[in-house]
Amino acid sequence: MSAPVQNLFYLTAIEQARLIKAREISPVDLIKASLERIDRFDSTLRAWITVHAEQAIEKARKAETEIVNGKYRGPLHGLPYGVKDQMHALGFPTTLGSRVLDEHEKIPPHDATVIGKLSEAGAILIGKQNLHEFGKGGTIVFPFGQPRNPWNPLYDASSSSTGSGIAPAAGQCSFSLGEDTGGSIRGPASCNGIVGLRPTFGRVSRHGGIMAAYTSDTLGPLARSVEDVAAIMEVIAGHDPSDPLSSPRPVPRYTDHLTGDLRGLRLAVVREIAYVEGIDVEVREAFEAAVQVLRGQGATIEEISLPWAKWSVPLQLLTADADVASWFLAKYLRDRYDRFDVGTRTRLAAASLIPASIYNRAMRARRLVRAQVLDAMRRYDALLTPTNVTQPRLIEDTKEKLEDRRDVVPRLIMRRIAHYPFALSNVPAISVPAGFSRKGLPLALQIAGRPFGEAMIFNIGYAYQQVTHWHQSHPDLDKTLNVAF
Amino acid sequence: MELNIEQIQVLSELQGLKLPEKELDNIAIRLSTWLTAMEQIEMEMGDQMNAVDPIPPVFPREEF
Repeated sequence: MSAPVQNLFYLTAIEQARLIKAREISPVDLIKASLERIDRFDSTLRAWITVHAEQAIEKARKAETEIVNGKYRGPLHGLPYGVKDQMHALGFPTTLGSRVLDEHEKIPPHDATVIGKLSEAGAILIGKQNLHEFGKGGTIVFPFGQPRNPWNPLYDASSSSTGSGIAPAAGQCSFSLGEDTGGSIRGPASCNGIVGLRPTFGRVSRHGGIMAAYTSDTLGPLARSVEDVAAIMEVIAGHDPSDPLSSPRPVPRYTDHLTGDLRGLRLAVVREIAYVEGIDVEVREAFEAAVQVLRGQGATIEEISLPWAKWSVPLQLLTADADVASWFLAKYLRDRYDRFDVGTRTRLAAASLIPASIYNRAMRARRLVRAQVLDAMRRYDALLTPTNVTQPRLIEDTKEKLEDRRDVVPRLIMRRIAHYPFALSNVPAISVPAGFSRKGLPLALQIAGRPFGEAMIFNIGYAYQQVTHWHQSHPDLDKTLNVAF
Repeated sequence: MELNIEQIQVLSELQGLKLPEKELDNIAIRLSTWLTAMEQIEMEMGDQMNAVDPIPPVFPREEF
């Protein structure tokens, strides 16, 4: 072993992997560094629900032995990761961030397919991560503690893969797996200053995830670089007989497509999102600067209008939320209503009352909005927007009050306008760090691609990260967490 | 479409849901909001909605 690597926990997963492969560090060193970060800071950050430290160290020792004996499994071998507590992993209770389940109902019946694939690749699961209840947004009281933004703990870390965004940003693991129905990977990636991918629907098996929006749910990675995310996707993507909606298409070697060459590409800024009324000025400035960077790298960038994008917010809620609510109604909502968080249960109760005739009409409208997005994809290689049109908010401002009917729609549209058009369309979209607000909070660029076009958006994000350094900025937790709340 | 709490009570009873009185207004606001948005969507897209089937996009068949 050579001299200790400085801030090992903040290297990208790929950089950590290179050191492991070269045997300059041991997986045990890395796991211990991650666990130490959890031990020191998670009483404030609350990114984790369950951590199995000894089991993780034992697996790291096994990985170390394998590598020393020449059995190197690939770039995820020996890397510590966490998973949104919405996916089954043997040995860990599946809490779903809720008090609704009885103890025996939290026992996982099997590993989620993605967990199995990561185990095969040698990645080491160290724990389950905090989330909005059942992966729905709008939790008001978190049963496992209030998650906090590592850049400033007074601020929100977004929903609903909240801990999965915080943990890599805080150097508590090499990467996370999250779940994105409407923006739940991209939102936390943006607010915490890391990269997060919503894959094409069907690209990654949903088997073993506890979700019920069967037309929109996706599992995907969150990590500190685009290259990391591409490498993780090479492992977790692919057909799974246990998920009837997973795609049989072959999985590309995504990392081979990371050329960083944008010459000849045609990209489009979505006017209705990038210039929506009320967009935060600093968000817009950061976004415009990011667009200039991509233009400087040789991409042709135009502006495009998606006039129906604004309807994606109500349509997503009238369809995906109705699907979710019907599942909850049958399983828990009638008998355990009081055990839900009030934010979750009022949202689900409202969605359970959506008439089937309205649901049908909303699904038709969804098809039209999607057709508009796909038509844009035929003309451009990718679409660009800010990931969020507002800065991260104070935690106290995120607690939904719903006291005034007049501002409900504008508020919800502002929160999800950049996420839902691509979720509703089931196309891939990646969030990449693109600057900081004057308050020091992360801002992000979103790149949305064609169905199964992950390789293209990875390369655009990768090219951007070759000439910018936002993703290499990390919170100094000894300073950022030193505030009273 | 503005729903009042009495209508929410009736709808929720049809679903077998017993909702606390203090949460009825919140639920009425949520549902009214989405149904009102749907009315606007119908006005803007209704004719075209009649021309497509409500198929979920879970098996992408496009040329991409």
